[in-house]
Amino acid sequence: MSAMTTIAKREFRSNFDSPLAYVVICLSFLGLGLLFFLYRGGFWQLDRSSVAGIFDYAPLGLALLVVPVVTMRLLAEERRSGTLEMLITLPVSDSDVILGKYFGALSLVLTVILATLAYPIAMFMWPWSLGPLDWGPVFAGYFGLVLFAAAATAIGLLITALTESQAIAFFVTVFVLAVLWFMGPGAELFSGGMAHVLEYVSFQTRLEGFSRGLIDTRDVVYFLSVTAVCLAVAFRALERRKWA
Amino acid sequence: MTDVMIQTSGLSKHFGAVRALDNVNFEVKKGEVVGFLGPNGAGKSTTMRILTCFISPTSGSAKVHGHDVFDEPLAVRQKLGYLPQRAPLYTDMNVWEYLEFTSQIRGLDASRFKARLKKVVEVCGLAQVLGKDIGTLSHGYRQRVGLGQALIHDPPILILDEPTSDLDPNEKAEVLKYIKEIGKDHTILLSTHNLAEVEEACARAIIVSKGRVVADGPLDDIRGKTGGVRYFVTVDEQSAEKGSAPKTAEIENGLKSINGASRIRVLPTEEKAHKFELSGPQTSDLRAELFRLVVQKGWTLLELRRDTQSLDAVFRDLTRGDERLDRGADWDDGEDDDDDADDARPEVSP
Repeated sequence: MSAMTTIAKREFRSNFDSPLAYVVICLSFLGLGLLFFLYRGGFWQLDRSSVAGIFDYAPLGLALLVVPVVTMRLLAEERRSGTLEMLITLPVSDSDVILGKYFGALSLVLTVILATLAYPIAMFMWPWSLGPLDWGPVFAGYFGLVLFAAAATAIGLLITALTESQAIAFFVTVFVLAVLWFMGPGAELFSGGMAHVLEYVSFQTRLEGFSRGLIDTRDVVYFLSVTAVCLAVAFRALERRKWA
Repeated sequence: MTDVMIQTSGLSKHFGAVRALDNVNFEVKKGEVVGFLGPNGAGKSTTMRILTCFISPTSGSAKVHGHDVFDEPLAVRQKLGYLPQRAPLYTDMNVWEYLEFTSQIRGLDASRFKARLKKVVEVCGLAQVLGKDIGTLSHGYRQRVGLGQALIHDPPILILDEPTSDLDPNEKAEVLKYIKEIGKDHTILLSTHNLAEVEEACARAIIVSKGRVVADGPLDDIRGKTGGVRYFVTVDEQSAEKGSAPKTAEIENGLKSINGASRIRVLPTEEKAHKFELSGPQTSDLRAELFRLVVQKGWTLLELRRDTQSLDAVFRDLTRGDERLDRGADWDDGEDDDDDADDARPEVSP
């Protein structure tokens, strides 16, 4: 087993050694359930066999709670407690550390996302069948959600690589992801080029297509580029210790 | 493959304007246990971090087991076992999991891990804590686990950064015992600011101060290096053979009058007595003169001792200046003829 997978496995498992991960997962499911079924009448008012609601609310929950909580520890805590020195002086390259941490965190986020598949399955396949569900947009929506999670986790990893404090990492990540999300709706306040730019960059506008079943290569490339750039910068940030 | 295990040449490291290391050169040969000594902030950890490829030197180069630390960091780390200061471990794992984790990263297969684990548990005395969370262990045990992870892959070279700091005397003695045990078939570079430990565990010492190597060699050579011999004189403060009981200043002046005596200082003592420490030249023995002085003045001599054995004095001699700087003293007050007055105190973050 390569060093990277060993690090990723440890990272994934360590989430379950503290109650934090459980609390976050429970809270996010509770929140999603309430929003999906009850908020403004929710699913019932909609009176259509659609789970589009998941794709409206889940990214916000991921951006404002799950991703920041999962990523805040990754490097900030290791740096503070000194375990980073222990880890890096094992025969691992810096990229092994960054990618191991990244995939460890991403697997937890993906676990949360995949768990929400319980909604469409339980409601439209078994044990209930509330109507004929069009599965196309559901899969496209999940595909978008996974891409979004990949980008958001990379952003969180980058931020945790820059600080020694978990709390700062958490709040900065929440802030950055919130800004990237609400840029889209906020674009209405502007006009012309500015609005265009905001809409272009916003995660929210980028995700809209997916939940309607539209997989646009531009959106895919956008999320993948954000991921790659953030990982590369996080790698440089980790390497920076050598010259500081 | 030569038998030079660690070699540094012209190693320098700057943290901003602070010079943490300044042209450090030394070699460690196969099978040596070398004590790396210096006051806090002298550059010990910085050197070790460079050797383990955690940070890069500003200039100069270092080789470990023949591999350059800059060009082949992975090969270097493969040959090393490293225990950083204060043994930072993942507190949420138990000892077994932790050792397994490090061995997997080091690419040991399961059967080799089992065999090594058995050996490491035996050498480091970990049998009772294997299943315990590291977070619940005492500092001494954490230090042992740290030592264990450094040994799990049976590396030819061990680098241990203050393995005995923060330990109680019993734990200290035990960790030293393990180090001596391990030192029989490993090359070890061990940093500390405790001289007694070096005397116990090492045959050779490298003393660094303000980022420079100020002494390097077998312990006996280093002892002789500063040429100073220490004397301890204790005089009764309540009575005298002749006249009245002597005052501190009176004795101090008397000692100053002795030819060759230098660095006279008052030592604290619990007895009702004045205790002095002074240094004399290596070539002569001041005891006779000290005795004559005491007789002539009519003081009551309680103790007169000549001490050539202690590394302590050598260490203080060689690293003098560091502490004065801390107290805000000027750079060039007295004997400190350092040419880099602009140099700030080398600070090494822990």
